[in-house]
Amino acid sequence: MDCHDCHQSCQPKSHNLGGKLFNFGSKKLLKKNFSQGSTTTIALVGSPNVGKSLLFNLLTGTYVTVSNYPGTTVEIAKGNRIIGGEKVTFLDTPGMYSLIPITEEENVARNLILNQKVDLVIHVVDAKHLAKMLNLTLQLLEAKLPVLLVVNMIDEAKKLGIWVDENQLAHRLSIPVVSMAAVKKVGLQKLIAKVADYVRANSLSIAY
Amino acid sequence: MFEQILYPSPIEAAITRVESLIGDRKNSIPHRTMALLLLQKDPSLWSVSDSDMRSQLKQELDFAEIESIIAETEAAISESLTFAIAQARHQLAMEIEQDVTIQPHQQRAFKHEWLHQLSVHPLTGIPILLLVLYFGIYQFVGVFGGGILVDGMEGFFESEINPLVNTIVATIFPWTIIQDLFANDYGIITLGIRYAVAIVLPIVTIFFLMFSLLEDSGYLPRISLLVDRLFKTIGLSGRSIIPLVLGLGCGTMATLVTRTLESKRERIIATLLLALTIPCSAQLGVILGLLSQEPAALLVWATVMVTIFLGIGFLAGKIVSGEASCFYMEIPPLRVPSLNAILTKTYVRLKWYFWEILPLFILASVLIWAGKLTGLFDFIVTGLEPVMLWLGLPKEAAPTFLYGFFRRDYGAAGMFDLHSSGILAGQQLVVAAVTLTLFIPCIAQLQFMFKERGLKNTIAIASFVVFFAFSLGYFLNQLLTIMELSF
Repeated sequence: MDCHDCHQSCQPKSHNLGGKLFNFGSKKLLKKNFSQGSTTTIALVGSPNVGKSLLFNLLTGTYVTVSNYPGTTVEIAKGNRIIGGEKVTFLDTPGMYSLIPITEEENVARNLILNQKVDLVIHVVDAKHLAKMLNLTLQLLEAKLPVLLVVNMIDEAKKLGIWVDENQLAHRLSIPVVSMAAVKKVGLQKLIAKVADYVRANSLSIAY
Repeated sequence: MFEQILYPSPIEAAITRVESLIGDRKNSIPHRTMALLLLQKDPSLWSVSDSDMRSQLKQELDFAEIESIIAETEAAISESLTFAIAQARHQLAMEIEQDVTIQPHQQRAFKHEWLHQLSVHPLTGIPILLLVLYFGIYQFVGVFGGGILVDGMEGFFESEINPLVNTIVATIFPWTIIQDLFANDYGIITLGIRYAVAIVLPIVTIFFLMFSLLEDSGYLPRISLLVDRLFKTIGLSGRSIIPLVLGLGCGTMATLVTRTLESKRERIIATLLLALTIPCSAQLGVILGLLSQEPAALLVWATVMVTIFLGIGFLAGKIVSGEASCFYMEIPPLRVPSLNAILTKTYVRLKWYFWEILPLFILASVLIWAGKLTGLFDFIVTGLEPVMLWLGLPKEAAPTFLYGFFRRDYGAAGMFDLHSSGILAGQQLVVAAVTLTLFIPCIAQLQFMFKERGLKNTIAIASFVVFFAFSLGYFLNQLLTIMELSF
């Protein structure tokens, strides 16, 4: 009885059919992994309409509805991908502007990252409005959360004449930064490589 | 390591004091963050409701003490603490942006800025909206989908498949009772599957395609901007357009999305409007497809729906108490949508929709069959017939309303059937369409209303909707008769 746009109990089976038809995400992503390693949980957070759901689809090969419309995601969606030999669980969250929520759906994302065990927070920001978005990054860092910053929509920013120096940004914040144009899959491999670095470092620190 | 933001010294002092209040408690959240959240009066930490964080805290934290720390600090910095903290953070964010980006000297406008201006300025925006509605919705969905496609598929079903099914079923099963389950007037294949495949599927496909296009191009939020002023007068913020517009896609999901609204009052008004006036895509598609056959009827239907929407919204805004909240919404850029994304989205939506309705349509056929067998169906239909006559509808319309109890689109598909066999025409068509649109939404939406708004509100909204739908149908029929409008 649920509607496909909410993630709670929808599309329980074979929703990669759409993927097969329209070549959305490759089959490699869907390969099941049976290794018994500890699972890494990564949450995608950020303001509404910065492309979290699109990135989630790219990373996990599942499909959650993506719109050019803020507020499309209202509940948390889960998806997996094998990165660095480990099963990584990605969580797609409703948009939030600040750690202090105004509306209920912002609270969903906040409670997730503050009260539950999330190994890495990927903060997705819009390159066109960096200052406005860094506000949340600063709050996340203040909360001592492990953050990876994705500067998305660099293609649109470039058209406006905005250039983001990702190395300088990484230096200023002392966190990994990846610039992306998720729509065109630009930067996806780099992001996966960074996540793999993190997963490896993380499993090493557990092992020793 | 990233250096902490340094706040003005009175705030830093306050943080240290609150940190010492928190003490050595083990917590997943660093003390400094906890202190900052407390100082900013974070709602879920301060609220009386027992979140797990708070119940732990309750025993150990001296909220009165924090209260006085906040007051002292605010006196020292002579501004709101929340504001000062946000300000300090914002300054650092600005400074980092300056440092790491190259911005154009002149703030270069969006590439599609002129298009954006055209679409939101009332003088040009409203004509554009009308054009989009006329070509995108009326011509494409209504005339092409509802007319040409449905006629073709319905005709094919009626002339080829139904007789074939009737013959095959008749040869396999010698008993009329079993024959009626699969074939003839109300059979699973001849009615249930025919409704789903030949009427609903083509219209909904076209509508979903159009809706995805509007969504991804970024045009929908611009409609929000355009009608924001209108919405203010009925006590809703521009923000509440999001669930309402999404309601045109799926009322169930939209009811869930009402939680993005800030005040309880807005949530109730939006839920009511969603249940009453906003037709979901399937229903809208079928009704548009149906009424497009008679443009005057479509115009009356649209006028009535908009009037009711504004009227009820206005009244609800007066009755439901609470503060009106201010408008705040992100306007995404206009984009050339990617064909791939639109096709994928339409496909996913369509697949979900089709698999959801098909069993229900089949179930409805079975129930009608069982009802006919036991006489229950005829009993209810006979009961509904006076209501139909009261609305000026032919008594054959009674089963349609019964279908409508299951899903509005199923009822609408029934109307399509009645119309094409010439039973429902002109004025009756308008009255039936309006009543059915206003009528109770599908079972799924009712469930979500219950989940989001609670039992009391759901019962209140549902009984109001049923009462209102039929009374309005009655008055509309009277009005149209008095005005001697002919279609």
